[in-house]
Amino acid sequence: MTVRMSAHFTAILFERTSLVDEHFPVKMALMATLRRTWRVLTSRPSVLPPAVSRSQSSVSGHLVPVTSLSRPPWPETRPVPEEEQRRQHAALTSAVNRLIEQDDFGRLFAVVHIAGRQWKVTDEDLILLESHVPAACGERLRLEKVLLVGARDFTLAGRPLLAKELVRVEATVLEKTQSWPKVHMRFWRRHRFRRKRIVVQPQTVLRINSVRLAPALA
Amino acid sequence: MTSSGTPSRFLKSVLQNGVGRYVCQLKRISIIFSKNGPSSLGVRDFIEDGVVDYAKKNPGTVVYVSPQVCSKPKIVAEYLNGNVREEIVASKTSSQVSEVLTLLTNQSGLDVIRIRKPFHTDNPSIQGLWHPFTNRPLVPRTDDKV
Repeated sequence: MTVRMSAHFTAILFERTSLVDEHFPVKMALMATLRRTWRVLTSRPSVLPPAVSRSQSSVSGHLVPVTSLSRPPWPETRPVPEEEQRRQHAALTSAVNRLIEQDDFGRLFAVVHIAGRQWKVTDEDLILLESHVPAACGERLRLEKVLLVGARDFTLAGRPLLAKELVRVEATVLEKTQSWPKVHMRFWRRHRFRRKRIVVQPQTVLRINSVRLAPALA
Repeated sequence: MTSSGTPSRFLKSVLQNGVGRYVCQLKRISIIFSKNGPSSLGVRDFIEDGVVDYAKKNPGTVVYVSPQVCSKPKIVAEYLNGNVREEIVASKTSSQVSEVLTLLTNQSGLDVIRIRKPFHTDNPSIQGLWHPFTNRPLVPRTDDKV
């Protein structure tokens, strides 16, 4: 089933290039990467000292010495012509589509909006909502407000939500309890004012069963 | 008594309940009441009307009804993880008693103390943990040093 990207909920697709492979022992990989990257970064091309640049003409040299704050830390991007942009988008979409069709991604995570908060959620994890949910214990829910879905090599970000035909996040209601008795006390010294209230709120625990993607995007 | 003065725990479930099927965590319920005392009136009414329906709706829970000489009627709930919770239901109406029972049924047996975080994951990172060199552009070496 192919999914058409509607005008409202277009997804921004981008691929991620990773420096670190998460499957190696974390310490070893981190140390090796840091050592390598530190060597690369410390080997800067030589910069003309300020005195030399000032003696030269202002066309070739710099008026002010080049420092780490001379340019912003993000890479400089030039505006891309529309045709080239369309080609890049098509290439990216087809690459991500290929990954999805071949089921080449591993675990998926999703950012879900529920109970007034956004949660980053994967399979088999627990969530505590400080509110009453009308479903009974053991019932399966579908969480519909999904803002973002990510895998190891790609992420799909919604504007602001992803289409319902694209992602499916399912959860089970595990327990519906009350919070621990919280003490709400007000005290005003030297005024004989003391008020104490015990506050007990309903809570629901959800177990996220699955985060699944539709077969292919359009 | 504040959050730091009372015990606390992390959010968890009993034996990964919900990953496969959901299992009701309530093992046994004992309703202890007196046959004549005025505070047990609501409990007696509940036993007349609602206890059989409750037992039929929760087939995994064993219901014991034991009339005793007691001043305060109570409901003792035992859970699959071994915890025992007692709720005193003196001078409650029949509907209030059934609400107490619903609450006890919907709870897992974990302690009702402060929960430190409202979430729990066993897989916190999927795209790899951030470190200061993630997303930092690499500058290729120009000299001959190794």
